[in-house]
Amino acid sequence: MISAKGLYKRYRKTVAVDHLSFDVRPGVVTGFLGPNGSGKSTTMRLMLGLDHGEGETLFDGQRFGTIRRPMNEVGALLEAKPFHPTRSARNHLRMLAAGNRIADSRVDEVMEFVGLGDVKRKKPKGYSLGMAQRLGLAQALLGDPRTLLLDEPTNGLDPHGIHWMRDVLKTLASEGRTIFVSSHLLSEMQLMADELVVIGRGTMIFNGDVDTFVREFTQSQVVVRGPDTASLAEALKAEGAEVIPEADALVVSGLEIGKVGHLAFTSGVELHELSTRRASLEEAFMSATGASEQFVAQTPVAAAGGNPDA
Amino acid sequence: MLDALRFEWKRLTTLRSTYWLIGMGLLVSTGVAVLVGVAARNEPVSTDIMWIALNGGAGFGLPFLAVFMAIIGIFACGHEYRHGTIQPTLTSLPQRNRLIIAKLAVVLSTTLVVTLVSMAVNLGVVYTVWGEAPGLFEDPLGTSLIGYVVYMLLYVLVGFGLGLLFRGVPSALVVIFLMPLIIENMIAGLSTIPQLDWLVPVVKFLPFSDGARLLELSAPDFGPGTPDYDLFSRWAAGGVFALFAALILASAWTLFKKRDA
Repeated sequence: MISAKGLYKRYRKTVAVDHLSFDVRPGVVTGFLGPNGSGKSTTMRLMLGLDHGEGETLFDGQRFGTIRRPMNEVGALLEAKPFHPTRSARNHLRMLAAGNRIADSRVDEVMEFVGLGDVKRKKPKGYSLGMAQRLGLAQALLGDPRTLLLDEPTNGLDPHGIHWMRDVLKTLASEGRTIFVSSHLLSEMQLMADELVVIGRGTMIFNGDVDTFVREFTQSQVVVRGPDTASLAEALKAEGAEVIPEADALVVSGLEIGKVGHLAFTSGVELHELSTRRASLEEAFMSATGASEQFVAQTPVAAAGGNPDA
Repeated sequence: MLDALRFEWKRLTTLRSTYWLIGMGLLVSTGVAVLVGVAARNEPVSTDIMWIALNGGAGFGLPFLAVFMAIIGIFACGHEYRHGTIQPTLTSLPQRNRLIIAKLAVVLSTTLVVTLVSMAVNLGVVYTVWGEAPGLFEDPLGTSLIGYVVYMLLYVLVGFGLGLLFRGVPSALVVIFLMPLIIENMIAGLSTIPQLDWLVPVVKFLPFSDGARLLELSAPDFGPGTPDYDLFSRWAAGGVFALFAALILASAWTLFKKRDA
C-alpha cells in the first residue's frame, strides 16, 4: 500500500507538484497519467526521496528513506539507461544487490526472467532502449519487492515486449503487490490498469477506477441502426438529444439507451441495432487533461498548393 | 553501514577504470624508482635518492600516483551523476550520509593500500639495487614518507569532494589539475614582482603548495632575491591543505543532502 500525502514541489516560480494526495492499493495495477510536464516523474521522485519537497509518502507504513534494505520492499524504475557504460549489466545488478544483501543467484534469476540472460555479461551501452527497460525492470524486481514504482516502463518496447510487460505487471498485482505505473500508451493503460491517478499541471484531476474515469470525463453515446431512421432522428432531436448521422446509423448523445429504445418503439421505427458506444480511456484522458496540457503543439495545416486530400 | 560498504566496494571493483588507473599509477611510480636505481646504481645510496625512489618522484611536482588515485576519488561521485546511476544508487541506499561515508571509507582505504604497496614495491627496487635502505625510519626521510601518505589521502579527498561538489567529472578534473599546476604557480610567480608584493602573504596559504610540503625532505629554498614567504612548517602547511580538503568536502556533502538527485 502506498499512501502519498500533500506532495509539493516547486522549481523557482513553477509549481511542479501541487499538494497531491492519493493512495495506491495492493492487488491492482494503478496507472499514473498526465500530459507531458504534468509532474508525473517529479511526483515519483518525491515519493522516493530523490527530490526534496513537501509531503510524505508511506510504503506499507514506512518512509522510503527509513527502510533498511529498500530494494526488498520497493522496486523502482524511473529513468531509461541509468547505467555505467563500461560495467556489465550483471555487475550493475550485483552492485545494487550488494547494498541490499541480495544473492548473486537472484541477479541471474531476474536477468533470465526479463529475457536478458544471454546478454547479461554485455555492457548496457550496447543495449537498445527496449533492452534497457527490461534491465530496469530486472533492477526493480531484484529484491522481490511488494511495491513497484515504474515510470514509463513500456517506452521503447516492441509489441511483444509491451504485451509481456502487461502480463508481468498484472500477474504481480494478482499476487497482492502494489503496482504504480506511469505510461503515455493509453490503449495499453486501458488494458493494464484497474485504477488511475490522473494529474495535470501538478494537481489531481482524478483518482479512482478506470470505468468511473471514462464515465466521468466522457459522454456515453447510443448507436441506432435501421433501414429508415429519419423519423426517429426527428423524435430524438425533439427530446433534446444530439443526433449525428454516421454511415447507415445514428449516433445519439444526451439520452440513455432505454429512452432511445422507447422512442423507437413508440415511433414505430424498425431497428437492427441499439447499442451503447463506450468512450475510450484516450478520449476520457483528452477530455480530462485538455485544459492542463502544458506544451501545446500547433494543429498541422496542409501545405500551400498541396493536395488537401493527399 | 556494512551494506553501504559492500555496495561501494562492488561499485569500485566492477569498474575497469579502477584497475587501469591503479595499474598506471603503480607502474609510473615504480618506473621512477627503477630509473633512479639504474642511473645511480654505482653511487652509494643517499637520502635524496631514497626519497625520490620511494615516493616515485612525488617531490618534483604533482605525484603521479596521487593524480591517478584522485581521479578514482572524482569518479566515486562524479560518475554517478555523469551516467545517471545516482538514481538507482539512491533507490538502493537512500540514506545519503551512509552512502557518502561508505564511499569515503572505500576510496580512502584503497588509496592507503595502493600507496603503501607502491612504497613497498619501490623499497624492493632500492634493496635490489643497493642492498640497503639507510635512514628509512629516521628524520627527515621517515617523516617525509609519512607526509607522503597523508598527502595522498588529502589529495584524493579533495578529488572526491570536487566530484561530489560539481556532480560531474570534467569540472573536477580541471580544478584539481589547474589549481596546483597553473594557478598556484602563477600566484607564487607573480608575488616575486615588487608591484605585486601584496601577494606574498597569500603564498603561504596556497593549499596545494602547502600540501606538497608534507612530503618535502627539507624546507624549500627559493634562491636569492625571492620574498620571504614566512612559510608554515611541514605539519602546519599540511593542516592548511587538510582544512582546504575539509571545506570542499563539507560544502559538497551539505549540498548533496540538500540537492535533488
